[in-house]
Amino acid sequence: MAGGPGAYTCPYCRATSIGVGRSCPACGAPADVALKTTASGWLELPAARDMARIQCGRSSLQIEGTMVPVADFTLAPGDGLYFPHHELLWKEPGVTVTQRGLKGAWKRIMAGLPVHMLDAVGPGRIAFSRDAAGETLAIPLQAGAAVDVREHIFMVATHSVAYEWLESGVWLQIQNGDDTEIDYPIGMYMDRFHAPAAPGLLLVHAHGNSFVRELGMGETILAKPSALLYKEPSVSMRMHVERPQSSGRSFWTWGERYLWLALRGPGRVAVQSAYGHTHDPGGRIVGGATEQQW
Amino acid sequence: MDAHQRIVCKWCSGQNTDPTQCAFCGAPLDVQNMVSESGWREAPRLRDMTQIRFDRSTCQVEGEIVPVVEIDLAANEWVFFEHHCMLWKTDSVPLSVMNLQGPKRSFFRMPHIVTIAGGPGRIAFSRDATGEIVVLPLHPGMEMDVREHAFLLASGRVSYSYVRIKGLANILHGGNGMWLDRFVTSQAPGLLVLHGYGNVFERTLAPGESIQVEPGSMLYKDASVTLAAEAIKLSSGMFGGTSMYLARLTGPGRVGIQSMYHHHESGE
Repeated sequence: MAGGPGAYTCPYCRATSIGVGRSCPACGAPADVALKTTASGWLELPAARDMARIQCGRSSLQIEGTMVPVADFTLAPGDGLYFPHHELLWKEPGVTVTQRGLKGAWKRIMAGLPVHMLDAVGPGRIAFSRDAAGETLAIPLQAGAAVDVREHIFMVATHSVAYEWLESGVWLQIQNGDDTEIDYPIGMYMDRFHAPAAPGLLLVHAHGNSFVRELGMGETILAKPSALLYKEPSVSMRMHVERPQSSGRSFWTWGERYLWLALRGPGRVAVQSAYGHTHDPGGRIVGGATEQQW
Repeated sequence: MDAHQRIVCKWCSGQNTDPTQCAFCGAPLDVQNMVSESGWREAPRLRDMTQIRFDRSTCQVEGEIVPVVEIDLAANEWVFFEHHCMLWKTDSVPLSVMNLQGPKRSFFRMPHIVTIAGGPGRIAFSRDATGEIVVLPLHPGMEMDVREHAFLLASGRVSYSYVRIKGLANILHGGNGMWLDRFVTSQAPGLLVLHGYGNVFERTLAPGESIQVEPGSMLYKDASVTLAAEAIKLSSGMFGGTSMYLARLTGPGRVGIQSMYHHHESGE
């Protein structure tokens, strides 16, 4: 407890609320269960309870289901959301959906990012889900706060949250014969969400389970690139390559190397336990990464 | 409890004397009914090893992530199913094939073989994906439409056919392909078991009431519910545009949706 009598500060989203029930009203995380922290320092983000209710200004949402959860919004008049079009599960016919203008459509097409972002404005009900097993994470953003989300993780955000996309700055320069190519292990761009003036809510989908940790100043953790969910903007990233001791460095041994995303604090990072395959483009790495030969 | 008191299952309306579990659909009766503020009812989370009786046979649901449905068939009783859903069986269970218009079905990517398994003996089914088993006891005189490839098995007293979805827009963009499986009971009750990807939710639409859903999420509906595809135009500025389609379901009747859906027309 912090912030005065009856106040509750959620260990997962850091929001302070009064008179909390069984769940944090800001992110839906259970408030009556013990923290699960691994011996290595990862805090397991508990899945929202079935039918957990989250308040967001005059609007609210319910997280429904456990395997592939649904985020079911009740929008107050004038309140709005934006989302990539393929996240929509159902809506009341009265909720109007319009297209949201996005700058740089050509760049987004080339980078494989969703081109169509939609807007929905209340009053009415509208629901979202991602076509994969995992957890729906609610990230309340206080005024002035920001978070960087890996591409294709974002589900939906309230209108008070601003959206921009910026270069990830994570790349590998690969030499294949006479050709030099650039590979982007976490994508060319990252989504940045920030709440410039008023608090807002961001929802992301984690494949499998999700874990979060606070990195101290200069502290570094190596993670599988595709496991990254989100990070605070203060956390810096670069690629790091490790080669096992027995491995040589001839052209045919590149398959024995490990490609890591090095995350350096200070700040918070979150990862997911189901991450898919990280593609190694092969060839000789000639730039963009630090290297460790064991 | 009064020996004559009956507990009505809120999922299938079956009347029970056991206060813990519905004898007809396996729904737990001693837990809170999960209904969202928007009116969607979660399909009952069947307890591991839940047993359900139908006719003289039994059905047991095993596991929770990719559940298995195991049938103990009595003599002279049978179930039918899409052949690729069969997980295992005892060697005494005979198999035969339902007489369908195979080439026509396979042309439209529907399984052209619907298999029949007869008792006595045991046979088990599962779909190759994370999801929930939805047990739908069909009372006499019911008609239920199910999306392609969602049906796991049905008891022998259920009649099976398939209906063509009307309207070109519905076929191309409705998310359900060209056909819906239709299950009908006449004089006797039957049992229909579906597999929903992810979590499954149901609501009952009043006459004229409608809801718009992602086309790939529609799992089942009463035959009285109509289905129509509706387009939302999307533009990419100078790069042209496309349309996003939603399926409008209009009551009266029940509709069921799944939260993990097959996304259509997106390419993302």
